[in-house]
Amino acid sequence: MRAFGYIPVREPAEAVRAVRRAPGAAFIAGGTDLLNLMRDGAQRHEHLVDINRLDLASITDSTRGLRIGGLARMRQVAEHRSVRENFPVLAEALEASASPQVRNMATIGGNLLQRTRCGYFRDAASPCNKRTPGSGCPALEGWNRGHAVLGGSEHCIAVHPSDLAVALLALDAVVHLLGPDGPRHVPMDGFHLRPGQAPHVDTVLRPAELITAVEVPRRTTAVRSRYLKLRDRATFEFAVVSVAAVLELRGDRVRDVRLAFGGIATTPWRSPEAEAVLRGAPLTVDAIERAGRALVREAVPRRHNGFKVALVQRALVELLSGLGGLR
Amino acid sequence: MNGGLVGRPVSRVDGRAKVTGAARYPADDPVPGALHGFLVTSAVARGEVVGIDTSEALAHPGVVAVYTHLDLPRLTVPPFPYCKGFIPLQGTAVHHAGQPVAIVLAATVEQAQEAANLVRVDYRAEPPTASIDDATEPPHMPRPFRDRPNEITRGDAAEALVAAEVRLEVRYSSPTRHHNPIEPHATTAQWDGDRLTVHETAQGVNLTRSVLAVAFGLPPERIRVLAPFLGGGFGAKGPVWSHTILTVAAARLAGRPVRLVLSRAQMFTLTGHRAEFRQHLRIGATRQGKLTALVETTTAQLTRTEESIFNESDSTSTLYDCPNVHIRQEGVPLDIATSSYMRSPETTAHFGLETALDELSWELGVDPVELRRRNHTAVNQETGAMIRGKHLLDCYRIASEAFGWSRRAPRPGATKDGDEYVGWGMATEAHTFAAAPANPPVTASVTVGADGRAVLRIATQDIGTGTYTVISQVAADALGMPLDAVTAVIGDSALPFASVSAGSATIASVTGPVDKAARSARDAVVALAVADQRSPLAGVPADEVVTGHGHLFHVRDRARRDSYRAVLGRHGGPVEATGSLPNAPGHSYGAVFLEVRVHARLGSVRVTRVATAHDMGRVMNRRTARGQVLGGVTWGIGHALMEHTVYDRHTARVVNPNLSTYLVPVCADTPAVESHFVDRPDPGSTALGARGFGETPITGVPAAIGNAVYHATGRRVRDLPITRDKLL
Ligand SMILES: Cc1cc2nc3c(=O)[nH]c(=O)nc-3n(C[C@H](O)[C@H](O)[C@H](O)COP(=O)(O)OP(=O)(O)OC[C@H]3O[C@@H](n4cnc5c(N)ncnc54)[C@H](O)[C@@H]3O)c2cc1C
Ligand code: SF4
Repeated sequence: MRAFGYIPVREPAEAVRAVRRAPGAAFIAGGTDLLNLMRDGAQRHEHLVDINRLDLASITDSTRGLRIGGLARMRQVAEHRSVRENFPVLAEALEASASPQVRNMATIGGNLLQRTRCGYFRDAASPCNKRTPGSGCPALEGWNRGHAVLGGSEHCIAVHPSDLAVALLALDAVVHLLGPDGPRHVPMDGFHLRPGQAPHVDTVLRPAELITAVEVPRRTTAVRSRYLKLRDRATFEFAVVSVAAVLELRGDRVRDVRLAFGGIATTPWRSPEAEAVLRGAPLTVDAIERAGRALVREAVPRRHNGFKVALVQRALVELLSGLGGLR
Repeated sequence: MNGGLVGRPVSRVDGRAKVTGAARYPADDPVPGALHGFLVTSAVARGEVVGIDTSEALAHPGVVAVYTHLDLPRLTVPPFPYCKGFIPLQGTAVHHAGQPVAIVLAATVEQAQEAANLVRVDYRAEPPTASIDDATEPPHMPRPFRDRPNEITRGDAAEALVAAEVRLEVRYSSPTRHHNPIEPHATTAQWDGDRLTVHETAQGVNLTRSVLAVAFGLPPERIRVLAPFLGGGFGAKGPVWSHTILTVAAARLAGRPVRLVLSRAQMFTLTGHRAEFRQHLRIGATRQGKLTALVETTTAQLTRTEESIFNESDSTSTLYDCPNVHIRQEGVPLDIATSSYMRSPETTAHFGLETALDELSWELGVDPVELRRRNHTAVNQETGAMIRGKHLLDCYRIASEAFGWSRRAPRPGATKDGDEYVGWGMATEAHTFAAAPANPPVTASVTVGADGRAVLRIATQDIGTGTYTVISQVAADALGMPLDAVTAVIGDSALPFASVSAGSATIASVTGPVDKAARSARDAVVALAVADQRSPLAGVPADEVVTGHGHLFHVRDRARRDSYRAVLGRHGGPVEATGSLPNAPGHSYGAVFLEVRVHARLGSVRVTRVATAHDMGRVMNRRTARGQVLGGVTWGIGHALMEHTVYDRHTARVVNPNLSTYLVPVCADTPAVESHFVDRPDPGSTALGARGFGETPITGVPAAIGNAVYHATGRRVRDLPITRDKLL
């Protein structure tokens, strides 16, 4: 691992300035992803700007919704009373993430910006378009059991690994940013980018932009929300397939539903098609199965990941029928 | 007399040191003046190094040297237990991705690592072959490895198969797996003229010494290897690997001590693994389930430089009574690193045998335990000799009763609990343990000092299994001292000779010598006492003196007593004795019964209940023995359900060389285990009735899980690991 300069900062604006000025600089929050990437040679930075002292770790709960500071730790958010009571899908997604040790360190901002777990991306000696643009994508013809069936391109099919992002997407959250040109906010739906021609760009974040907060709009319906994560061992593992659902029923009909998926797509994946199938319809296993088929209509399975197409549909049935009291 | 420490669940004598950090592992202590080494490894899997530019690396701060094949002296490729067939940095050929092509020495680890990134290597690359399925040439049968044939023939298996009332033909497959001990491999090499000291993460200090002696053409006496503690080995630290040799060579070139620690990723290419494996099994049987023919052909991954087969078919050959057996162990060379022994080498082929018996049991409608009973043998299938002290039938009885096997649902897929199918499965466990070589003999030394305490010295190892504890129990019992009066000193080749801690050979091979040395020391002290007019025991015949709790007593008049401390104090110096005793190889056995729950729609598999019973001769320490069972069950769960090294088909590079993507079980994957032991001394043992045991638990676990998954769902998965995609 290459030696790097260390720049501690106290104010958000100072942090932004520091990253803008120092060449090859990056923010470091919990460091749980960044340091591994640097050790593996997947990412290089001349300077790390330590943002841990910024006053951006609080969680505030108001009638408008929940405002989670960009430096709030995963554990802190998962344990927050309002999160547990009003947004269970969020608490569940966080508690199903990583390990207690990692959750103690890892921040909300860092979580949204963590990079893919694609093995080729993290092996500096392999080609990879996301790491080294134009070098190729060995996953297309290589080992792709963990890779995306939706949202990929012929340049990259890597999955975005965040569980939190999937839950936030289902909750219509908004990401607050502070950049050299001042603050702005971006909806979660659109924050992460599909690889397209430029797989090295994961998000809409501009250079030196800092995540200051994530805002989750208050909706009573979010009380009926849940996260289902399927993985290859019981805990401490990324999703093979995950589903976040927020469901509002009127009688046996679906008044509103928001569905987001992890493990199957290059970004946290919202499916308007699947939601449209269910919205206004009676909630039945048959309707959920139709929604599942709508979800995967465009799926492009590869050599090892075809099972995800079937699995995500079953996971959807499992989650929604539980949430809707069908079983 | 002493309350018998042997057999009691004594807690680890080194436990406190380990959890407080007082135990120093081979890479823990700083060595004054040592440089830190880091290996530059090949990006390509097959071809040749055509150029190396070290200038940028050499210019990096702190870098002292970068050595390539142009710098290293020519070394001799040692035979087993060096299992690579070549030493890197001796030429330009590249045999696998991750092969060392240069070694960087720098003042700090970080400098060495970064400079390693700066070494530019140009290759002429050829397309590699990474898996058995992609091999272009057909499998072949290699030369015998360690004098063991790859073909075993008994009776006429082909004819018996044709004539069999019932035939079963099945194929099983299993991927590469890596040992992944938590402690990375580390070497610290220090030359002092032509004397060499090596602190090594070694399962065998003497084995390491002999390999280095061959590689460097040195008399073994000039080499000292130390490994007082080990953070897990599982076979990965049994052989000596190339990084050890390269570190020693670099230290000599640099004229300074060098420490090198492998990265986790490097452990996936530089330290061996369980080879990828295919198994074609044909079974002939009577309608009652008596085996009449076993025909097995296995295919293991080999390399172009080394053709040893480690995934042995011992179980097929010896576990059950069958007159007609034909086994062929074949292999195909691939362009990946050499495989090696991994706890337990039999497990891979044993999975096929124990799964096939389950398949046969369903076909015949015979309970799988009953099927195994009908094929039980009391005779060594290879030699025809009676096996003394084999209690496998007791294992079936004890474990099945503990588990409640008699309540098993008679059909697959018949039991559902909520969203999950519940299934029960069982398998036999069996393991061949090794004997220490007869020459030089394994020897222990016991010294009783003027303080009345004993020091036990022997060049064995504690690889985490509890050697320190068990040999202290043995010596304390033999001396008649409390446990804390005995200090064991091990893990140093300068101590009296012992062999490698592999093949479950440690306790079986060191207990006899330790017991003998301690008894001799005790006898010497008794002799001193009875000859000493100042002793209350003066004049008592030596055989009328007994010892216990650090004291010497007259056997009939316990008021006449002396103490070790008093006797040695008067004597004015220590008393030392040594002991040697050979041991023989043999088998340990067991039975594992377990329950799985398989989610009906999502295919998730959980192991929820396990009961085991083992026959290992005398149980020296129930606590450390149980530790082996827990570890074995956990490994078995990993083996069956998740562990899997992935190679890219095109580059033959490991795609998951880390513990984030090479999954091993976590606590939530591992249920409580109810472990039982038959605990009857083996009459042929020279180790106080004990046999080698450590690797026995695990052997049956993967098959028991697969069998339980079948019972739960009616789905037979013959390709490991059993991941949910195979069950949807
Ligand atoms: C073993 C392991 C298992 C894991 N399992 C899971 C899992 O199951 N599910 C899951 O969702 N995640 C998982 N993770 C990922 C983990 O959640 C992330 O590593 C973590 O959330 C990153 O947060 P951090 O604060 O440590 O970020 P850092 O590592 O400090 O930073 C990550 C990136 O974000 C940037 N950054 C950080 N904060 C900000 C900010 N406020 N504004 C702008 N840029 C910023 C950094 O520059 C860097 O590029 C796992 C991680 C590990 C190591
Ligand atoms: S899938 Fe994306 S991240 Fe993975 S190798 Fe291809 S380009 Fe790189």
